[in-house]
Order: sequence, then C-alpha cells, then structure tokens
Amino acid sequence: MSGSSALWLDQIRKDYGPVTAVRDLSLTVEPGHLVALLGPSGCGKTTTLRMVAGFERPSAGRIVIGDQDVTALPPHRRNLGMVFQNYSLFPHRTVAENIAFGLRMAGKSRTEQAEAVTRMLDLVQLAGRGDMYPRQLSGGQQQRIALARSLVLDPRVLLLDEPLGALDKSLRESMQFEIRAMQQRLGITTLLVTHDQEEAMTMSDQIAVMQDGRILQMGAPTEIYDRPETRFVAEFLGTSNIFGGTVAASGQEMAADGMTIRLPHPVTPGNRVFLSVRPERVRVGDEARAMPSHTRARVAGRVFRGTYEACHLEIGPEARQVYAYLPSRGALGAGGSATGQECWIGWAAEDSVIVTSE
Amino acid sequence: MSLAPSSAPARMPGWLLILPALLFLVAFFVLPLIDNSLRSFEVGGEFSLGRYIQLLTDTFYLGVIVETVVLSTAVTVICALIGYPVAYYLVRHAGRWSGLIVFLLIAPLLTSIIMRTYGWQVLFARRGLVNTLLVQDLGILERPLQLLNTPGIAIAALVHVLVPFMVLSIATVLQGIDQRLEEGAQMLGASRWRTFLEVTLPLSADGIGTGAILVFMIANGSFVTLVLLGGGFQTLPLFIYQQFTTTRDFGMASTMSTILLVIAMTCLYLQLRLVRRAGV
Repeated sequence: MSGSSALWLDQIRKDYGPVTAVRDLSLTVEPGHLVALLGPSGCGKTTTLRMVAGFERPSAGRIVIGDQDVTALPPHRRNLGMVFQNYSLFPHRTVAENIAFGLRMAGKSRTEQAEAVTRMLDLVQLAGRGDMYPRQLSGGQQQRIALARSLVLDPRVLLLDEPLGALDKSLRESMQFEIRAMQQRLGITTLLVTHDQEEAMTMSDQIAVMQDGRILQMGAPTEIYDRPETRFVAEFLGTSNIFGGTVAASGQEMAADGMTIRLPHPVTPGNRVFLSVRPERVRVGDEARAMPSHTRARVAGRVFRGTYEACHLEIGPEARQVYAYLPSRGALGAGGSATGQECWIGWAAEDSVIVTSE
Repeated sequence: MSLAPSSAPARMPGWLLILPALLFLVAFFVLPLIDNSLRSFEVGGEFSLGRYIQLLTDTFYLGVIVETVVLSTAVTVICALIGYPVAYYLVRHAGRWSGLIVFLLIAPLLTSIIMRTYGWQVLFARRGLVNTLLVQDLGILERPLQLLNTPGIAIAALVHVLVPFMVLSIATVLQGIDQRLEEGAQMLGASRWRTFLEVTLPLSADGIGTGAILVFMIANGSFVTLVLLGGGFQTLPLFIYQQFTTTRDFGMASTMSTILLVIAMTCLYLQLRLVRRAGV
C-alpha cells in the first residue's frame, strides 16, 4: 500500500442554526497514526467525522488531506474509507460484489477486481466467502468485510464511526486488537470516533477527548489517563475521585472533606483547586496511614469485579464518597464481603493530579 | 401461543375471531364468483370450453384483451414515473411536511370516484374551465379543444386516481432503506446519481413492484372512469358491461370476467413471489 496522508482539521466549525455542534476545532493526524475522538454523545465527534467524510459542510475552517484542501469536495471524490457501526454492507450484493464496488466505480477491469477481492478476503481471513450474502455472515465477519471494502481502495484516510458498537463484549475486544494490528501493518492514517474509553485506549496512538464541540485534551492514552488536565477528562476516562478545596498558606496542602491533602506540586496559596485521584491509586488499610494524605473511612460497599474489588468508602463529616480499587489477592472465593467497618485510606501526593474545574 | 394472557378463564380458539369475516366473504364473494365461473363453462346445459376458445382465438376479442393490458401497462408506467420522485421527496426531503403530503395524496381517494370523474368532465368539457381559460381569458386558442373522449384524458384520470397507491408503496420501502448504505456507496467513490442507480433504486425495487401490481390490477378492472371519460378504449370491463346491458349474453360476460380474474390472480401470484424473494 502506498504511503498514507496526514489529516489536518484547521479551525473547523459547524453551526446548525443557533446551535453550534463543533467549535473551531483543530486537529492533526500524522501519517499512519490512529487518533480517536472520544466523548459522550452530543459532543460533536460524529459531526466532526462527517465533515471529514464530506457529508456535512463546515460552517467555517478547512479540512486538508495530504496537501489537498478537500473542504469543498463531495464525499465520492475524497478517496477516503469509512466503516460504519452497522457495517452498511449492500444487502442486495454478495460479499465479493461489496468488496469490488469501489473498484467498479473507479472503472477497474474485471480481472483486477477479482484479484483484489481474493487478496482482501485473505487479508481479513474470510477466504472463500465471496459468494455469500452479508446477512449470512456474523456481525464480526460483516465488520471485517466492511473493512476490506474500504481498504481495497487504498484510501488516504480511514474513518471508523463507532465500528464495534454493535458487537458483543468479547468479540469487541478481539476486533479492537485485530483492527489495530491491521491499521499498523498497512500504516493507514485513521480517525476513530467512539464513546467507549476502553476502545479508544486499546486502539489509538492518540486520544482527543471532546466535550461540547471542542477538544479538551489530546495525547497518548497513558498521558490522557494519568495526566488529565480537566475534571471532565479525569471523570470521563475511567473513574476519578475529585477533591475540591482552597490551597493553604504553605502552598503545599489543601483542606477538603475533613482531611488535609498534600498537593503534587506547589500552588499559589488561596487558589481554589481540584485534585483527581484514581481509585486504583487509593491505598486502603494500615499502610495508608503512612501516606501524606490520609484519613479514616467507613466501608459502605464492596463489589467483586473479577480482576479487582471496587470499594465504596465514605469520609469526612458529610460522608463524601471515595472509590478505591483493590487487586483481587485474597483467598479464592473470599472477595466482596464485610461492610460497615472503619479503616484508613490514603494516597501518595505524586499519584494525584491537579485538574481544572471544567 | 405465549401471546395469549395465561389468566384468561376460557381460551377462545383463534380462528373464531375471523369467522364472521370469513362467512361474509364466502357468502358474498366466493360463492358468487364460483357461480359466475360455472356459468362461463355452461352452454345449453352442458359443460363447454366454447366461449373461452372463442374469446382467445377471435382477433376482435383478443384485441380487447390486449388493449386492456396495454392501457393498464401504460397507466402503470406513468404512475411509476410520476410516483417515484414524489415518494423520494416525501421520504427524504419533506420533513415535517410529510404528513400533509400524505394527506393530500390520500384526499382524492376520500371522494367518490364518480364525483372525481365528473370533475374531470367539468374541467375539460367544450365550455369547461380549461377551454374557457385558453380561448376566452388568455386568447391562446381560437376555438375550444376536443379534450373529453380522448385517450389522453382517460389515461390522465386513471393516473390521477392510481398514483397515490404507487407513491405509498414506494415510500414505504424507501423509508426502510438505511441512508448509511448510500453514504457508504459515496465513500466508495459513487456519485449521487451512481449511488441512486446502484443502491437506492435496486433496494426500492420491491416498492415499485408492489405499487405496479396494485396499479395494474386496479387499472385492469377500472370501469367508471372509462365509461364517463371515454377515450375510445375497448377494455374488458366495458365489454362485460355491454354484454350485460346491451347484448344480454350473460355467459360471455362471465367468461370475460373470469379471464379478468385470472389476470388479477396472476398479478397477485407475481407479487407474492416478489415479496418472498425479497423476504431477507
């Protein structure tokens, strides 16, 4: 496959009457990289993807692919691939005809079409299924055909619109790895839209977390997860305990929910800050007393989740809720028990992150 | 049978529900039809295929049958050509106006067909609205046009009555087409027109088929429109009427109506085949 192109969104905006779906969004996808637009429904991620595809015209801004400004081009002249959540295979055509569709539109010869179909069926490990109709295939197989149908055209950029949303959980996980491996092997620039943080974390080089038509933060999955800049990012990706308080005179600590919390780095005294602590960073038990930030807590609930145990704790005078994940390490079959007892909880200052209130 | 509430004290057999309708149909539809077709096979108290042989070999009668089918086909094709764009607009572009459009489509069906046909007469008579407008008010023509009793008016009136069936059949199917299929085709390099030809049209073929069979069957049996607006057509329904009122040859009338019935049944059979094939 020939070299993939970079995708550049330059200050794109989309207004629907008085409603603004996408606000002056800028984004660059490096050649061969996969970037996920992650956010709740209504955050503008799908509108952004549809503008790249050409189904929506930006109210302002430019879309550049490689060195070509495609903002005004209709979808069929953009040379992009797109995979939809419901696969969108043509039900009245066979698998082979579906894969050959784009080649036929491009005026390729029958022999060329047949060769390419065979090659693509091999690539997605569905050799010999060319004469079947899409409805005779399982959801995962249909999704692979949809991928093959797009990839056969050697698109400049591949667009994935919630591609695994219709699959069940176990299949979704294996397809995440499969699509990612194929994307990396072919080195194809890809923009993925998803509301599933696990999917975004598994598949992407970079995640752009969107809210309200804007990108709040963009970075590698670990960076987004471990160093969220805003409260929204911290809470949307995984679970976070957010503490809000005013910085003490020392600039090193703040008071919140009846405890004194050590900040990861000095802040101007008197500022109001929010601190995010991931549940898996919260220590529970006597060892927590040695932590710079610690307090007494009451166990309000414990849920066994297989790989870990989710503890639901209450601290301070207002019984504020704190979540802690403990690795499942006790005796087999002993998970998820006693509630109501008191214990110490705490965390290291470097395991917490200061976030903005947004 | 899990659909029936289990708490029902005494279960009523399902077929009891359709019994009244069934009895009504048998008494007023099936039995008369059987009686009618029996009459077509009876000559002087004996069984005979004579009338059928006469009808299907005599060039005059064959001409009537052919003319019936040709007229119905023409009406069907015109309905499809007019109906498809309307259905497409209705489903894809009308938005909140779609309810109003459906109402406007169905509204003509709420008036009696005789009233509607007289309406056409009033519009197109020698001193009717259209001629008055063209001759007196606009002065485009010197003398009124002969519009009534022309084939064009009869076909136009039939299309007017039947086009809603076509539109609604096509719209139902178009409604069910996932627009992302069309977007998928565009992403694969198909222009809008190509997408329509490759995806939308084939997927809506069932709607066209259903509408066409419906329109064809009704046009085949149409009587009032042709009697009142003329057009010089000699179709089976007009001939049956003539056999009853003028010639008083009931046997021949029965034979013709049986043939008409066979054509209708063939259409229904084709429709069933079509639906079954599409039953994905």
